[in-house]
Amino acid sequence: MDTVQSDSTHEKSKFHTFVQLAMYLAIITGLEIVIIFLPFSYSVLFTTLAVLSAVKFLAVIFWFMHLIYDRALCTIIFFIGLALGGGTLAALLALFSTDRSEASEATETALKRIVVESTNRI
Amino acid sequence: MSHAAAGAIDPHHEATTATGIPNKKLLMWLFLASDCMFFGSLIATHLIYRLNPIEGNASPTRIFDIELTSGSTFILLMSSLMMALAVEAIQKGNLKMMRVYLFTTVFFGLLFLGGQVYEFNHFVHEKGLTLSSSLFGSTFFVLTGTHGCHVAIGVLWLLSLTLYSYTGKLTRADAIDVEAAGLYWHFVDIVWIIIFTAVYLIEYI
Repeated sequence: MDTVQSDSTHEKSKFHTFVQLAMYLAIITGLEIVIIFLPFSYSVLFTTLAVLSAVKFLAVIFWFMHLIYDRALCTIIFFIGLALGGGTLAALLALFSTDRSEASEATETALKRIVVESTNRI
Repeated sequence: MSHAAAGAIDPHHEATTATGIPNKKLLMWLFLASDCMFFGSLIATHLIYRLNPIEGNASPTRIFDIELTSGSTFILLMSSLMMALAVEAIQKGNLKMMRVYLFTTVFFGLLFLGGQVYEFNHFVHEKGLTLSSSLFGSTFFVLTGTHGCHVAIGVLWLLSLTLYSYTGKLTRADAIDVEAAGLYWHFVDIVWIIIFTAVYLIEYI
């Protein structure tokens, strides 16, 4: 009987948790929209947006997707995929963010060295 | 009184599988993990071309309608709440409320899709942004279009589940079917959370 009662209390609190969480997510979304119009530096705004986005992401996966109630294996599986996806994203961004002028300068220097070495040999 | 004795079903533990996780749920998590890599690549492609723009590329802030996109984001978040409540309702054996929540989720999903159709139509006919007009157009439409396809599949899945429940074959014991659909729906929501920041908001700072 006690267990049934505590189950009912647990379910009721889960309902309230979901509704409260949705309200917080809506507030965070509102904040994100306001933040982009504030006169702060790019790095401050970018970091704030990234943090708020991560908070929303984690809130949804842990509460709405039940990861905090489920076996740890579900979390591990999802985070492996997330790490691979995020890692691919980070690697590609790093790979293509090389400054073009620096890259062309490096190429030019390397070519000049090859020409000089070839000339010396001749 | 134990759960078994009380006839309760524990949705977070399955005694008949080696992992303790229902197979359908495990499969869904594996699929979602693979989908992370898919969307990771699409988002990376979009960001790379945004960070290295070519001449003649479209200017996103002149094209985007941030009010509309913010509304769509809010709608999708609320649909996630409805989905979570639908899963909770079926786990408690409350089929009537599950149908109400599922129909609301489908309605919000359709609203989101309607917003996206309006946005695409507006971009193509009034702003001149098409799939082939610029690199930005290509990566933007592929990324958001792929997400839209996911939403459309989710809407069809949830609608079919709701209609199936009227046959009387969807019971509390089948809560895992609704939960698996719910996981997919929430995933669509989290992908949009990233897209909203990485594609839309970041252009305004």
